[in-house]
Amino acid sequence: MTAPSSDSQPAAATPVPEAPHAAGTKKRLGIGAWLCMGWLGLMIVIAVIGPWLGLDTSSNFELKGQPPFWNGHILGGDGLGRDLFNQIILATRASIFVSFSAIIIGTVVGGFLGLISGYFRNRFAGALGSVFDILLAYPPIVLALTLVSVFASDPSGSGFQREMVVIISLAIVSVPILARITRANTLVWADREFVHAAEAMGASKWRILFREILPNVVPAMLAFSMLGIAVAIVAEAALSVLAVGLKADTPSWGNIISTGRDDLASSPNIVFSAVAVLFLTVLSLNYLGDVIRAHFDVKEAAL
Amino acid sequence: MARFRPFRHTLRTACVALFTVSLVAAGCGGAKENSKGTTGADKSNEAEVVTDKKPVYGGDLVYGMEADPGGGTSGFCLPEAQLAISGMLFSRTFYDTLTIPNDEGGYSPWLAESVTPNATYDSWDIKLRDGITFHDGSKLDAQVVKNNLDAYRGTYPGRKPVLFLLVFSNIKDVTVKDPMTVTVTTKTPWVAFPAYLWSSARVGILAQKQLDSTNCAQEIIGTGPFVYKEYVQGDHVSGTRNDHYWVKNDNGDQLPYLDSLTLKVVTEGQQRVSGLESGDLDIMHASGGEEITRMRAFKADGKKQLIESDKFGEVAYAMLNTKTEPFNNENARLAVAYGIDRQDIINKSENGVPKLANGPFGKGNMGYLEDPGFPKYDTNKSKEYLAKYKAETGKDLEVNIGHTPDSGTTKLAQLIQEQAAALGIKANLQPIEQGALINTALGGKFQALLWRNHPGGDPDGQYVWWHSGMLTNFSGINDPQIDKDLDEGRITPDPAKREELYQDLNRQFAKKAYNLWTWYTLWSIGFDNKVHGILGPKLPDGKAPSSGLATAHFLGALWKEK
Amino acid sequence: MRKLVTRLGRLVLVVIVVTFLTQLLTEFVPGSLDQILAPFSTPAQTKAIRADLHLDDNVVVRYGRWLGDFVQGDLGKRYTGAQSSIPVGPEVRRALPVSLEIMVWAQLVALVIAIPLGVVAAYRQGRWLDRIISSSAFAFLALPSFCLALILSYYLGAQLKLFPSVVTRIPGWSEGIWTHLKVLVIPVISLALGQAAVYLRLLRSDLLSTLQQDFIAVAKAKGLTPRRILWRHALRPSSLTLLTVVGLQTGALIGGAIVVEVIFGIPGMGTLIQYAITKRQYIELQSEVAIVAIVFVVVNFAADYLYSVLDPRIRT
Repeated sequence: MTAPSSDSQPAAATPVPEAPHAAGTKKRLGIGAWLCMGWLGLMIVIAVIGPWLGLDTSSNFELKGQPPFWNGHILGGDGLGRDLFNQIILATRASIFVSFSAIIIGTVVGGFLGLISGYFRNRFAGALGSVFDILLAYPPIVLALTLVSVFASDPSGSGFQREMVVIISLAIVSVPILARITRANTLVWADREFVHAAEAMGASKWRILFREILPNVVPAMLAFSMLGIAVAIVAEAALSVLAVGLKADTPSWGNIISTGRDDLASSPNIVFSAVAVLFLTVLSLNYLGDVIRAHFDVKEAAL
Repeated sequence: MARFRPFRHTLRTACVALFTVSLVAAGCGGAKENSKGTTGADKSNEAEVVTDKKPVYGGDLVYGMEADPGGGTSGFCLPEAQLAISGMLFSRTFYDTLTIPNDEGGYSPWLAESVTPNATYDSWDIKLRDGITFHDGSKLDAQVVKNNLDAYRGTYPGRKPVLFLLVFSNIKDVTVKDPMTVTVTTKTPWVAFPAYLWSSARVGILAQKQLDSTNCAQEIIGTGPFVYKEYVQGDHVSGTRNDHYWVKNDNGDQLPYLDSLTLKVVTEGQQRVSGLESGDLDIMHASGGEEITRMRAFKADGKKQLIESDKFGEVAYAMLNTKTEPFNNENARLAVAYGIDRQDIINKSENGVPKLANGPFGKGNMGYLEDPGFPKYDTNKSKEYLAKYKAETGKDLEVNIGHTPDSGTTKLAQLIQEQAAALGIKANLQPIEQGALINTALGGKFQALLWRNHPGGDPDGQYVWWHSGMLTNFSGINDPQIDKDLDEGRITPDPAKREELYQDLNRQFAKKAYNLWTWYTLWSIGFDNKVHGILGPKLPDGKAPSSGLATAHFLGALWKEK
Repeated sequence: MRKLVTRLGRLVLVVIVVTFLTQLLTEFVPGSLDQILAPFSTPAQTKAIRADLHLDDNVVVRYGRWLGDFVQGDLGKRYTGAQSSIPVGPEVRRALPVSLEIMVWAQLVALVIAIPLGVVAAYRQGRWLDRIISSSAFAFLALPSFCLALILSYYLGAQLKLFPSVVTRIPGWSEGIWTHLKVLVIPVISLALGQAAVYLRLLRSDLLSTLQQDFIAVAKAKGLTPRRILWRHALRPSSLTLLTVVGLQTGALIGGAIVVEVIFGIPGMGTLIQYAITKRQYIELQSEVAIVAIVFVVVNFAADYLYSVLDPRIRT
């Protein structure tokens, strides 16, 4: 078997499921899930309204690299002397927008391809399955790096253009992973009695696919999309650290981490603040992904 | 200049080479560390060396440098190599040059005993010092020096120089006059010729064997204080004591003192400082404001020694493209020149360490002026010029700032962007990979580029960058007055007259705001308290060695207390 | 045996597709490759480079040539100028062992952490010890290795000065074992903890399900202590699952290792790939991606093969 060819293994980069107290949270959302939803909700709200708050982004030499609580600045100053708290608020927009957009695209495209390759038992579907498997052998970060560097070769492109490039690159990377997961789940559901019954009743294949199978596959797709968004947030940051991410004047968590590296020894608050926000967001997404899986009883074995 | 036309393509290649060696993106100070309270150039930038101890022989020294001296280019075959600051250290470890800069801003004979022009400055006799031998035992004589010069200017079989083809294109011929004298004739009078024999330590004299070697890049044989031992790419270059070195110290001691010298590559500036602090490095160089701030603290605590100098340093600036919109419009240039608070930028990006530059020439350099008339920060004036720009073109000023994507330069670009925004100028960041930078500059595909160039020394060295006939005139400056100053400066022997010419050029630059000068690179050498002999002995003609550090320093007199 | 051959065939196919894809991607790069690699070449030099790279052939032919060279061990050239280039092969030969060593250490450290903790967590299922272990593991899943690297390099490097926070070179073993290992400590731990979290969680849930199987009941009936049952009987089948996941996690590890290598300046494959991408050395990139893909695929192949050899249920 090449890496991902067996349908009985979890996808390469996805964490193994099961939340710490999955059994307890089944059918009932625990406090952890509410906390995570609260945090994510907060991030989304900040992402939406952050740019409209008119936050002060001017640089001030006195504030440069200052520690938290210096002169009323909760998180201190960044490497340019701007208020770090404001920068992190502003950065939320790009980090959330890029990761959500990429995974929404990836889920729609990958989900569709996964559904048809899992349900239609023809040559095309089989070939599609193999293609996913093979694409998964392309180390994801290398693929993302290559895609961004190929698409973003115009240095004078605007910050928005670069965001689009990163979104599309991450979406492309996520497609085979999400497609494979959808396919595996589709395979399971496609063999159920009610599907066979619907087929026997002469329902059209597409109708069965979207009416009977899709609703059952959605929880798994949703659960893995959550993990996917988490991975995309990390990927955005990783690309910034590798100097091929969003443009430097687009605030993002990745850009704060990347530029803050220089000041790590003297002003660790810059990197640590962004890492903390990133960590909590990824943690929340992972947790909710697990909760959804536990809630809808998405079988690990089906992956 | 018409004489360059025939080899336009080679010239293009040469541009690249020149570019790679002399341009380092501005602000590449590397990692940053803040230390408040040391803002402003309140410290003396003059080098100071205190040695009251008696030198001792022996020992090994580890010198931390900022980049691999080979840097993935044509290796160490000097005529073909493209050496930046670390490469200059390399060159000064294993080779000697015919001339060497002295502290009066001139060039003293070094391997040469004398370098004398004829009355019209188009023929130069280089008389060599007697009794100097290369590391392989061969003798330094007129023939090998002629072959070297031919190799540098591209007429020696087997050697394919890139950079020096352009630099030495004014040489007509090199002949052996007598066993110890070489005569160089030039196409036009060339007053600054002795400076070119130095060329920032790049014109080292190679032994005949290396010159003829098919493995010229690795078979390193010079006359320098150390004999080549090994090179591990990306890690270090080392040499052992040259027992037959020709230079003696002021006290008569045979140099060098050290048994061996290791040049160690540590690319992160702050890491280098940490290496010095922990004792892994005995000595290091740095030019970043924040590294220097940290080393100043060491010095203040008595933990380490530090010398600093911005003599002959490069100038960091924003290069404006005067060939295309928007900076082909003088009002746009002046609006930016008045509207950017350069001192504020120096404070925020370099901890206020280097000195504000108002012109291309640093203090002490020919052509320097305290105030050449460069626009002083004045937002009202800036707005006036912005209004004029709008009236003339009907457009709001919008600029792209090209910068290398390293974080230091990116920060610098962001600071400019912020200040521009306050004036209502929309500035877009345009990150350009180091590799694509050359293309961008030569192709004129930029509006403003963050730059570092024009190391000090004889101003004639800047001819290729500013003369309207030059392909390497990236800004596209086409100014008859500047051309005239450069052309006359090249052939005028009288230093006072030359001083005037280059001051005039300086003023013209300021008046037209062709470039947005920012700061003079401050070079520093940090070293352990036990290390001495940084600048070396008096030169053979009795003058003091240059205290500038931008082209490294003499390495043969370094010694370390036991 | 037949199965082995099919799998090897698949392995080759994957490598071919992955590298062809890379080649295809470079077709989308605007501008001509010769100008990108050597922007200031003379017409003659351009011609030489185009011939050298077979730029006038179509993608498939060009790919065929690259593949031919690659199979013979020629990984192409890195162009450093119009007239200078260095072969990529020696660069990869220098970098690959470094990356492999880091990854092997990371896997070992991850397993050394994960196995005992996973067993303890399973043994103490639902108790506070299990809760602490499981929750920490869950938290580490959300902490990217490069973030952990930065945190560790601040505390262990900059503050305590226990380990260097920048690595320009890996000292050879001959320079002393500790000298050699010291520079690897922070990168390896950064990479290992996230992996350990994955293994730990997997092992714990796998052990829990194994513990419910019949042969465990038999063992219990024989009067073996729970501890002995866990270590001797339950762990063995679980180790097989673990083995496969170790293989699969190599992909994630490679990704993490690239960023961590770049952060510390470790001269490994990640740094090389990053260099190739930023310097637009697409030929070099293609060869390096091929090497990484081969490593990835081979590790999985080996894990899968071992699995089938070790597990009597799969053996045919």
